[in-house]
Amino acid sequence: MDVCLQFSLPSHPRYLAVVRAAIGELSSVSGFAEDQCRALVLAVDEALANIIRHAYGSNFDQPVEVQCRVLGDRLEFTLLDQGEPPDPARICAEPMDGFALGGRGTHLMRMIMDEVVYETVPGHNQVRMIKHLPAAGHEGEQKGNIT
Amino acid sequence: MNTTTRCTQGITIVDVVGHIDLSSSPALRKTLLDSLKGTDRLAVNLVAVKYIDSSGIASLLEVLKEARKANKRFILFDLTAAVSQVLQLTRLTGVFEIRASETEVLSA
Repeated sequence: MDVCLQFSLPSHPRYLAVVRAAIGELSSVSGFAEDQCRALVLAVDEALANIIRHAYGSNFDQPVEVQCRVLGDRLEFTLLDQGEPPDPARICAEPMDGFALGGRGTHLMRMIMDEVVYETVPGHNQVRMIKHLPAAGHEGEQKGNIT
Repeated sequence: MNTTTRCTQGITIVDVVGHIDLSSSPALRKTLLDSLKGTDRLAVNLVAVKYIDSSGIASLLEVLKEARKANKRFILFDLTAAVSQVLQLTRLTGVFEIRASETEVLSA
């Protein structure tokens, strides 16, 4: 049976911890190891933080939707907002090495997830992130592992 | 997130407890930059940090930059697995001075 968790929340940073807790638990019961759960939580948290900071310009009362679904062989996270669309030229535009203070969030999302897709759907910006479940035969090639 | 600041053997130590994220990293940044002004050696105890995101990492980097500019030492110690993982993912493990324990910080 497919599983779906859905959150509708304001773009306030105080709700980040709520979403993190749910995603950590969902990742754990989906079979991910502890470090992988932490990585998945980080990737979704970074995507949410980008919505708060960039799509909504740190305006904390705007609508955000988060859907977390377990679909067959994968975990899929979909985040929706109604703010400024992301500028594709700025996503992962700078290399992550070095002392730059910003721009690491999108790199982390891509390093951790198997797929990150930015889309525009009617009335919303959407970022969709996919991670294959370890039970689907991807145990040895999980991204975000520490070696 | 909560912080407490203490001085031991001439080293200013900031103990951090909780989650460092978009909501708490500005406060951490301010606490560390303020602490750095009054010391030559600033160490951050991360043993009770359960989560850190890229905004927290950016705050630590900013303090490190300030410390280097002022020829001061900025040390992270007692890292949890969560903090170590994010530092490794962001390829910053070699950028910071990292110590295993407070004892090591005091003897370094």
